[in-house]
Amino acid sequence: MSNRARFLIVCVVLVIALWLIFYPQLFIALESLRTSSGWGLAHYQEFFSERANIQATLNSLWISVWSVLLAAIIGTPLAFLFHRLEFPGRKTFSALAALPMLLPPLVGTIAIMFLYGESGIMTRSIQWLFGLSQPPFQFSGFFAILAVHAYTLYVYFFLFVTAGLERLDESQLEAARSLGASEFQVFRNVTLPLLTPALVGASLLTFLTSMASFSAPYLFGGGTRVLTVQIFNSKVNGDLALAYTQSLVLVAASLLVLIVLRHYETRRSYASLSKGAGTFRRRIKNRKLERIFGALSIAAVIFLLLPHLTILLVSFVEEGSWTTQILPPQYTVDNYRRLFGDPQFFQPIHNSVVMSLTATVANLLWGFVAAYLLSAKKPFWGRRILEAIILLPWAIPGTVLAIGLASTFSVHAPLRGQMVLVGTSWILPIAYFIRNAPLVVRALQSSFAQIEASIEEAAYSLGAGALYTMRRVLVPLVFPGMLAGCLMAFVLALGEFVASIVLYTVDNRPISVEILAQLRQFSFGTSAAYGVILILLIATAFLIARFASREATEISL
Amino acid sequence: MLAVAFLLVLFCISCAEKSDATRVIVYSPHGKELLGEYERLFETQYPGCDVQWLDMGSQDILDRLRSERANPQADVWFGAPNTMFSQAAKAGLLESFRPSWANSVPADAHGDADTWYGTYFTPEVIAFNSNAAQGDSVPRDWDDLLLPRWKGRVIIRDPVPSGGMRVIFGAILFLHLQQGDLEKGFDWLRRLDTNTKEYVANSTLLFQKMARGEADITLWNMPDMELQRNVYHYPFDYVFPSSGTPYLTEGIALVRGAKHAEWARRYYEFVTSTESLELAAQKYFRIPARTDIPLQRLPERIARARQQLRPMKLDWQVLERETPGWMRRWENEIKGSGK
Repeated sequence: MSNRARFLIVCVVLVIALWLIFYPQLFIALESLRTSSGWGLAHYQEFFSERANIQATLNSLWISVWSVLLAAIIGTPLAFLFHRLEFPGRKTFSALAALPMLLPPLVGTIAIMFLYGESGIMTRSIQWLFGLSQPPFQFSGFFAILAVHAYTLYVYFFLFVTAGLERLDESQLEAARSLGASEFQVFRNVTLPLLTPALVGASLLTFLTSMASFSAPYLFGGGTRVLTVQIFNSKVNGDLALAYTQSLVLVAASLLVLIVLRHYETRRSYASLSKGAGTFRRRIKNRKLERIFGALSIAAVIFLLLPHLTILLVSFVEEGSWTTQILPPQYTVDNYRRLFGDPQFFQPIHNSVVMSLTATVANLLWGFVAAYLLSAKKPFWGRRILEAIILLPWAIPGTVLAIGLASTFSVHAPLRGQMVLVGTSWILPIAYFIRNAPLVVRALQSSFAQIEASIEEAAYSLGAGALYTMRRVLVPLVFPGMLAGCLMAFVLALGEFVASIVLYTVDNRPISVEILAQLRQFSFGTSAAYGVILILLIATAFLIARFASREATEISL
Repeated sequence: MLAVAFLLVLFCISCAEKSDATRVIVYSPHGKELLGEYERLFETQYPGCDVQWLDMGSQDILDRLRSERANPQADVWFGAPNTMFSQAAKAGLLESFRPSWANSVPADAHGDADTWYGTYFTPEVIAFNSNAAQGDSVPRDWDDLLLPRWKGRVIIRDPVPSGGMRVIFGAILFLHLQQGDLEKGFDWLRRLDTNTKEYVANSTLLFQKMARGEADITLWNMPDMELQRNVYHYPFDYVFPSSGTPYLTEGIALVRGAKHAEWARRYYEFVTSTESLELAAQKYFRIPARTDIPLQRLPERIARARQQLRPMKLDWQVLERETPGWMRRWENEIKGSGK
C-alpha cells in the first residue's frame, strides 16, 4: 500500500472516530467543568466531598475486578474443555455454552429475578424442600450483582478463548512436546502466551462492561451503591452537572485499567507463522471419565438454560395468577395472542433488525480497517489517539453516551460539526455503532495480532495487490474473530436498551423499548413473550452466522 | 470506499423515515389501556389522523423534552404531577393553550399563562396486601408505617425517578418544615428506611412483589391500586391516611415547537372532553380535574374517595424548589442507613 493511500485511510478512520465517538464525550467533559462562575473544578470538589460517591466508586471497581476473576474462572476452562476433549454431545453443549449471549440484559435480569429472587422458583423450591420458614437467601447486594455479572460475562472469556484456540497452531504444541516439554510446560510456555491477546481482550471487555453495567446493580443492588446508578439518580434528580462529573470519574477509572492492560498486552509478541490448523480433539478413552464429563457438561448447560426456560415459562403465565406458589398455576397462550393481534406488533422487530444490521455493517467496514491499522507493526501518525478513542465507548455508560449524542446532535451547526440527528432514525444505529465499535475492533485486532507480518509481505512479493491480499489472505485469517465480533455486535444491538430508551422515536422504536413498555403495563407475561421472540431472533442470527461459515468457529452455534 | 459505504448506510436509513403531516405524537405515562382506547376513539372521530403515543415515566418525558428542544418530536405531553409541568414551563418547553373548558378547573389546577391544565386528581394512599393486614392491623395513618409490626415488610418504589413518590416524600418533609423542624422529617424517613425491606425499580415489580408475598405494605397512588385489584385481581387494598394525603394534579400541555400543532390541540380537547374524562373515571379510576362533571355521573368508588380523603395542604412552589435537594440528601444519607 502506498504511503499516500495509507495516510488517506488513516484520516478517514480518524475523522469518523473523532466526530462520532470523541466529540459527544467532549461536550460532557466540558459540561462537568462549567460552573456558575465560569470554569472550574467545583463539581469535582462536590463529588469527592460526598461519602456516597467515594463508596460508589470503590464498589464499582471491586465489583468489576471480581467479575473479571469469576468470568475467567468459569469461561476459560469451559472453552478448553470443549475445545480439547471429544465426548458425546460436545458440539451441542459447546454451542449452548454461548447461551447467555442470547439473553439481552433486560430480559436476563427479569429471568434471574423470577428464578433466584426471593419469591423465585429456585428459592421457593429450596425453601419447600428443606421446610424452611424463611427464604434460604436474599438475592440482593454485592454478591447478587457479582452472580449476575459472572453468569452473563463469562461468555466473553468463553468466546474469546475458543476463537484463540481455533487460531492456535497445533504443530507448535506438538513441537514443544517433542522437545520434551510436559503438558503443564506446554500450557504455561506455549498455549498461555499465545492466548494472552484473547485473555486480555476478554478481561478488558468484562471489566469495562461491569463498570458500565446498570440493570444488575439497579435491580439487585439493594444498598450497594455503584457509580452507574449514582449517575442515573443524579440525572433523574436534575443534577446534570453532577451526573456528568460522576460519568467522567467512571470513564477515568475505566481508562486507567484499559491503559494498564493494553500496556501488558503490547509488551509481547503473539504472532504465529501459520493459519490455525485443525485441532485434534482427544477422545476420552476411559468410559467412566467420558460419562463424568458428559454428565458435568449436561448439568452445566441445564444450569445455563434455566433463565431461558424461566422466560419461556413466564410468557405462558396467566397475568395475576402466580402469587405464592412455587410454579405458576395457570397457563395460557393469551400473551402471544395479544402480541400477534396487535397490528403494530411487527414494527419493533423490523426496526430492531434493520437498525442492528445497519450498525453492524458499519462496524465491520470501519472496524476492519481500524483494526488492521492498529495491528500494523510499524507505527503511524495518530495511532495512539485512534486506539484510545476506539476503546472509549466501553468506558462510557449507555445513558451518558446517549445524552452526549443527544446534546451534540440536536443543533444544526455544520461549522462545528453539528447537525440535527436527534429525533431522526439515524441516531440509534449511530449509537449502536459507537457502543459496539470497541467490541468489533478488539475481536479483529486480536486476530490480526496473531498474523505474522511476513505472511502479508509474502503475498505482496508474490505480486498480489492490496485488495487481493485482503480478500485472499487477511480476511480468511481473521474470519473467526471477525465473525465472532460482528455476531456479538449484532446481538448486543438487537438487545440494546440503555441508549435506545433515551434516543428512540415513534418511528424507530426497538424491541427492547417495547419490552419495557409491556413491563410498565404490568404485563410480565406479555413482556416475557416479547423476550422469547427476541431470544429466537438472536438464535436465528447465530444460526445464519453458522451457515455463513460452517468451519469457521464453534461459537456460532 | 469506507466513507462512501458509511454514507450509503446512513442514506438508506434516512429513506426509511416517514414524514406524515396528519398525525399527532403523545408522550404519556398513563398506560397502554387508557392511551390505546383514546387512540381508537380519536381516530374514529378523525379518520384522517394517526395518533401515536410513547408510554414512559413522567420524569423521562421531562428529560426527553429537554434534549429534543431543538427538534421536538412530541406534540402533546399528557400526564405528570403539577410540579413537573411548572418546571417544564419555566424551562420554556411548553406552548400556551387555553382549552375551551379553561374556566372549569380549580384555580391551582393550571399553569401560569395557560402553559398546562389539570386533567386528573391523583390521591396517594397506603396500600397493602389484604392477606397480611386485616381488621386492627390495617394501617390508618403515615406513622403506622413506622410500627415494629411492619419491620422488613415495607416495600417502596425507588423514589428518585418516580414523580409520585417524590411528592409523597416531599410532602412528609414539607409538613415537618412547616412545623419548623425539617430534621424531624428526615428522621421520619430514616425510621421508614429501617422498616423498608427493599426499594424497587418500577411499579410493576412493586405490585409483583407485594402480590407474591415478598412484602406487605407500600405507598402508591389510588388509580393504579384500583386497576391492579380490578383488572388483575391481586389481593390489594388501600386506605387514605387519616391525617391527610398528597392530592396531586396531573396535567396536559402542548409541546413548544410541536410539528403537528393543530392536531395536537384537537387531541388535547378530545381527551379532556367530559365524555373522555367520564370514560377514564369509569374504567381507569381517574378522578377528573374538571369541576363541571356532576358527581352522579362518576363511579361510586370515586365519589366515595372524594368524600373520604383529606387533601394535604401543600405549598407546591416550595415542593418544586426543594425536592431535588431533599431527594439528593435522602439518597446519600438516608437510603439503606437503617440496616
